[in-house]
Amino acid sequence: MHGIRSVTLLALPIALFTMALTATRAGGGFLANGPLPPVPVPPDNPQTDAKIRLGAQLYFDTRLSADNTISCATCHSPEMAWANHGATDKGFRGQVGGRNSGTILDAAYMKFQFWDGRAGSLEEQALGPIHNPIEMGETLENVVLKLNAIPGYRSAFREVFGTDVDTGGIAKAIAAFERTIVSGPSPYDRYLAGEKGALSEAAVRGMNLFAGKAHCMPCHSGPTFSDQSFHNLGVGMSRPNPDLGREAHTKNAADRGKFKTPGLRNVALTHPYLHDGSAKTLRDVIDLYDRGGEANPNLDPLMLPLRLTEREKQDLVAFLESLTGTQPIVQNPTLPEDARAAARGGAGGAR
Amino acid sequence: MSRSKLAFLLLAAMAAPILLWPGDAGAVPVFARKYGFACTMCHSSFPRLNDFGVRFRDNGYRLPSRESEERTVLQGPAPFAARVSGGYDYDQFQDSPEAVEEVRQFRLDGLDLLSAGLMARNIGYFAVYVPQIDASRGVAGQDGTLEMASVVFSHLGSSWLNVRAGRFEPAYVAFSVKRHLSVTPYEIYDFSFPGGSAFSDTQTGLELYGQGRHGLHYAVGWLDGADSDSTGANLSDDPPADVYARVSVVFGAGEGQTAGHRIGIVGYSGKARSLTAGPGSAPSDRKCYQRYGADASLNYAQLNLALQYLWGSDDEGFWGATESQDFSGGFAELTWQPMTRLAAFARYDSVDAPDAATQEGISRTSAGARYSFADQLALHAEYSRATTSFRAPATPDMQEDFFTVRLDFAF
Repeated sequence: MHGIRSVTLLALPIALFTMALTATRAGGGFLANGPLPPVPVPPDNPQTDAKIRLGAQLYFDTRLSADNTISCATCHSPEMAWANHGATDKGFRGQVGGRNSGTILDAAYMKFQFWDGRAGSLEEQALGPIHNPIEMGETLENVVLKLNAIPGYRSAFREVFGTDVDTGGIAKAIAAFERTIVSGPSPYDRYLAGEKGALSEAAVRGMNLFAGKAHCMPCHSGPTFSDQSFHNLGVGMSRPNPDLGREAHTKNAADRGKFKTPGLRNVALTHPYLHDGSAKTLRDVIDLYDRGGEANPNLDPLMLPLRLTEREKQDLVAFLESLTGTQPIVQNPTLPEDARAAARGGAGGAR
Repeated sequence: MSRSKLAFLLLAAMAAPILLWPGDAGAVPVFARKYGFACTMCHSSFPRLNDFGVRFRDNGYRLPSRESEERTVLQGPAPFAARVSGGYDYDQFQDSPEAVEEVRQFRLDGLDLLSAGLMARNIGYFAVYVPQIDASRGVAGQDGTLEMASVVFSHLGSSWLNVRAGRFEPAYVAFSVKRHLSVTPYEIYDFSFPGGSAFSDTQTGLELYGQGRHGLHYAVGWLDGADSDSTGANLSDDPPADVYARVSVVFGAGEGQTAGHRIGIVGYSGKARSLTAGPGSAPSDRKCYQRYGADASLNYAQLNLALQYLWGSDDEGFWGATESQDFSGGFAELTWQPMTRLAAFARYDSVDAPDAATQEGISRTSAGARYSFADQLALHAEYSRATTSFRAPATPDMQEDFFTVRLDFAF
């Protein structure tokens, strides 16, 4: 009898341990931060080489703005990790927007676009800045007229979409190009793949903090390190007229001050940070989290003081730096000449 | 070779493989495994909860603000875990200067089997089974029991209303003994009339709890009452008659565990039977007893100061007296966590026993440290001295010196 009890006593924890180990190896938790999967492509906008080439031209073409000075690349520059290093950017006639330009690098994986998530796809997002009076200041009708007057665009649209230039085609082509702006494996990915030397000791410590004491993973989870959701960190909420964030789109008071969780891949390259660009460095962001965000009535319940030590903060920065993957190399495309330039025999080019 | 040298060598041999343990070992229990988190997401130093852990628990074992994405236990890894600890214990009892008894031994000390998770989006459960283990050399025995088995219905309309039913650790216990760093007891929680149970024991019943704005938390409960130990004094068919209420307020960001400051008050009224004539005697009639308390958990930088004071009032008869008996006591515990892996603590306990008790008072001084080699494995060292004084003249104080070095392993 005693023997049976002993066997039972031993067997139970061994069985549990085996189950636990199996589960860990198989799943790793449903918030696991794994490598990027293939880029999701909507069925109504399949990727083609011609469409991507057209999208690249449109992305770099300043003629999409009212005064022909601003292109998508002005604020989402490949030289600045497809973002911009200004806190907020100057747009049409030097107007300054209220939000930081997020990177389009890996934006193809995001369910929502813009800090307030008002666009549900890259196609939807692509047209937004064009007719935003602060950003490119143009009307969609006028852009269509302008592009239709450029023979190269008209023929390209006919080739790709079988129609003249229209807003739907503009959106689809830019989105198709943006779906190619995807980062490659980072040291973190190589570490996960078994290359243990890919991360420094500090980065490994930072990785453990990220999944533990620093409380990053509840929001920064999944392959993009974003929960694809919205949270209120309290940033700017004490200002007289704070940016309402997600509430401005949903009209739901519960969304006040909430902004999209940005992905963290390549985050070391995309400074400054937060929706208003108020954090110049990663360290500034970590300090914000360490003090539990900024108090306001709608502060996210996940925001809590962390009590991080100086070394722990440094380790977290080291880990975040390890999320920098290889960057897509894109040459500025040759832009179609407008009719007058073509008549003069001038050369087109990215402006 | 002396016994102490032999003990040291054996301890070193035990610790060696652990010191070589890979630092990024990933297998972690139940919730951590479900989400892919490290234990330090919810524990400042396992098993002590941090503020995030408190919010997670109070939210019905769901991640705050990510409730809609939660998975049930059927959609994730097997929701089981176990915890076992063991090491070297030194215990010296001194009833008088001449009567000294020493116990030195390596032993496994406790095995808990745990399961927890979500059954539905807002229905969670938490169960801890303690298997029966007969004491033998090298193994500390334990009584088999279902220590916890509760279901939580979360957010019933708002965060103000959550219901916990079953056997659970009631909210009136301000500082969980299941999740504190020390292995020695909070004396005031353990102090009870003969045959009574510890204030911190898990209880069976129903608890409503919630929290609102400005850091206000409340909990009210209706319980089956003090379950007794093996004496069986309170295992009769008495209807549940124990009720309690606790209100606490958190100041500042946090939950008062590792950030912010929490103060609380608690009241408990119960009915029970006692064994004033000792174990095996007939239990007394059902009598009333009350507990009132105040507590505070204060944080500064890496320091936490936990303060608890309780007053007890037991009807006549509980202690074999003709009048009701009062007692009081509490503790002050300072915890310092200079780094994630290391936590140290020091505590002073004091109990002023009721007049009818043989004991006049109990005091305990404890200090210890805990170092986590990996998420699921900690080395624990603790020294504690308890002194019990007696009312009878010429009865010397009884003193216990306890020292332990042990490994605490959860998987």
